[in-house]
Amino acid sequence: MSYLTEGYTLRSWLTTHDHKRIAVLYMVAITAFFFLGGAAAALMRLELATPAGDVVSAETYNKLFTVHGVVMVWFFLIPSIPSVLGNFLVPLMIGARDMAFPRLNLASWYIYALGGLFTVAALVAGGVDTGWTFYTPYSTTFSDTNVILVIVGVFVTGFSSILTGLNIVVTVHKLRAPGLTWFRLPLFVWANYATSLILLLATPVLAMTLALVALERLFHVGIFDPALGGDPLLFQHLFWFYSHPAVYIMVLPAMGVASEIIPCFARRPVFGYRFMAYAILGIASIGFLVWGHHMFVSGQSMYAGMVFSMLSFLVAIPSAIKVFNWTATLYKGSIVFGAPMLYALGFVGLFTIGGLTGLFLASLALDVHLTDTYFVIAHFHYIMVGGSVMAYLGGIHFWWPKISGRMYPETLGRIAALTIFFGFNLTFFPQYLLGWLGMPRRYHEYPPEFQLLNLFSSAGAAVLAIGYLLPLAYLAWSLFFGKRASSNPWGASGLEWQTPSPPPQHNFEREPRVERGPYDYQPVR
Amino acid sequence: MTTSQFGSALERREASLFGMWAFLATELMFFGPLFFGYVHARLAQHDAFVSGSHHMHIALGTLNTAILMTSSLTMALAVRAAQRSGPTRIWLALTALFGLAFLGIKASEWVMEFGEAARAAGGEARFYFLYYAMTGLHAVHLTIGVGVVAWLWLYAKRFSAEYHAPVEVSGLYWHFIDVVWVFLYPMFYLLERYNA
Amino acid sequence: MSYVLTWLGLMALLALTFGSAYLPMGPWNSATNMAISCLKALLIAVFFMHLRQAGALLRLAACIGLLWLALLFGLSWTDFGTRTLSPAPWSSR
Repeated sequence: MSYLTEGYTLRSWLTTHDHKRIAVLYMVAITAFFFLGGAAAALMRLELATPAGDVVSAETYNKLFTVHGVVMVWFFLIPSIPSVLGNFLVPLMIGARDMAFPRLNLASWYIYALGGLFTVAALVAGGVDTGWTFYTPYSTTFSDTNVILVIVGVFVTGFSSILTGLNIVVTVHKLRAPGLTWFRLPLFVWANYATSLILLLATPVLAMTLALVALERLFHVGIFDPALGGDPLLFQHLFWFYSHPAVYIMVLPAMGVASEIIPCFARRPVFGYRFMAYAILGIASIGFLVWGHHMFVSGQSMYAGMVFSMLSFLVAIPSAIKVFNWTATLYKGSIVFGAPMLYALGFVGLFTIGGLTGLFLASLALDVHLTDTYFVIAHFHYIMVGGSVMAYLGGIHFWWPKISGRMYPETLGRIAALTIFFGFNLTFFPQYLLGWLGMPRRYHEYPPEFQLLNLFSSAGAAVLAIGYLLPLAYLAWSLFFGKRASSNPWGASGLEWQTPSPPPQHNFEREPRVERGPYDYQPVR
Repeated sequence: MTTSQFGSALERREASLFGMWAFLATELMFFGPLFFGYVHARLAQHDAFVSGSHHMHIALGTLNTAILMTSSLTMALAVRAAQRSGPTRIWLALTALFGLAFLGIKASEWVMEFGEAARAAGGEARFYFLYYAMTGLHAVHLTIGVGVVAWLWLYAKRFSAEYHAPVEVSGLYWHFIDVVWVFLYPMFYLLERYNA
Repeated sequence: MSYVLTWLGLMALLALTFGSAYLPMGPWNSATNMAISCLKALLIAVFFMHLRQAGALLRLAACIGLLWLALLFGLSWTDFGTRTLSPAPWSSR
């Protein structure tokens, strides 16, 4: 009897308290949203293949990039690793039978679904054109699209994030198995823990800020509108206070995944475990201090700009430490290029490129030239797609045997990983060049001299789409026809591998006792 | 009740208390932008804020503050009673009644001030907006609190020295609502009262 | 008994904050009110919310929200505090 076979009815799934089933519910939902956001991107890249704005109108294009941003950020990236892999694995990795608050966990999924419903309703009602950033006074005063409906959707889903974060934090503090001290925890747990701290402290600020936008829209009181005595920078400070840490919500769990896959596929313990843990905490905390780098040209005081610029350079340090340590972990390892490893290595490389370009943007003078161009778009897609999405897929492949009890087809897995890597770079590297050359973002048409690079980018997007569809197909196939998995097909360390694949409902027959640290690997001699 | 993820009842209680404190931290961050907006608006439009504050009903506001703080006392006594298998119900009932009294007085203030608020312009309009938004959000939380206390009162028989975590955890929430009001009171009622 | 004493303290502070609001102290009125509110909050947290006997973890959770709000206010001040507002002629005051 596994958690999958404990009841086959829809009702048993929709009323479950089992963190593993809730993780699967999330996985299904976020996959649907991923392809919704992806469809918007496909239309955008179709439009941008030629300089003329001939596929959609400017207004429709604005709605496309808004839905792409809103859906991808809040309905895919933020919940992807914490609510799917985190929910599934954190209790297993710490030797617990479930999360601290299982019913809250289920509630968080329903809240997520409700928020998603509002957002889809906004889409059906004609969409929103403010951009996912809802800058005022356009969002409060001038836009005549369904702003409030989408804000309600994001507001509601925010509570799903908060509850997931609450659960993870309390679970990690209180439910660790005997002998499992903090510095024996897998880095995946550290990463999700730190992410959950960010979820708790940042998300409420977003919720209130968006509520204020909605209230200003309804009552025309001047909080953010300068014509009414308000200040648009008030909005931007509040919005980015959440939205910058939000990007660390997206990347820290990805780093956690990489830290599990790389030691396993190199057969070496992670290099510098303590520094990796401290770096995770460092990124989470310093990440709260840098939000003003989104506002360098907004009219913000230049002294604030200097402070935020300096702090933004600072946050690169713990990230760099992690990149060095992953690389050092590979040294003298016995590396096997399985699909998860391809994703993990891709993550490290692409995250590094994305992160380095972040330093370009953190430099005040450079940012004046690069802000609001495709350089910024390339930067964050390298981290969020080249980084987080690849890590998510890597994690899905690595833990697929545990989650489903089946092996995915390895050759197809490698092909998909390479297709995604190639398609990704073809899509987004030209965008660095386009941004450098001055092509602005959020425009549906552009001067003809930018066409070649845009064509490469759109071609890449087509390849990327194929790359993403492949796992959807073969993972679904494997559910019925894949080879049945043993409890530890990778020979990995970690408590989650000490229980059958898929695990029984209560995870472990007997509570594990932990006597050693994580990453008990020896390279093959 | 079987709570298989916890090793013991103590572990469960500790997790609940920690969970509520973590939740209260998120609540503080939730109110945060409103406080931020208040500070920003008051610094930018000081005179309008003073003028708005002078239209507040200070006697009612002060009375309400006393009522709410007293309700915190009765809630603390309810928690202690639950911990000792004592007369929890009476203290819970008093707490809920004080909470309802607060809400009643607040609602009457809102009604009295609404005309003035609707006519206000510029900085004074921002004052009233923040006033209604912050005291409104506070009142929503208080209403939920009264609901929770009422639920505890209904099921008071479940709680005893062996099991009282829900009462403790609700107490924390109630006191937090009190703390928020303790800051809202001077922010809205006490600006330059010597000139009123 | 400590609960009743706490309540008496809170009432006394309320009287203080109410009374001092009628003394013309300029900006010191706000500072005083703020300080008194903080004291009230401390009394409620320490005695009613049992932080007095709580472990380090709960105390940390209690403080972290305040610390984080301080970050929001503090770093934003590097902007608002170093920039003068130039309201447009049509912006209402």
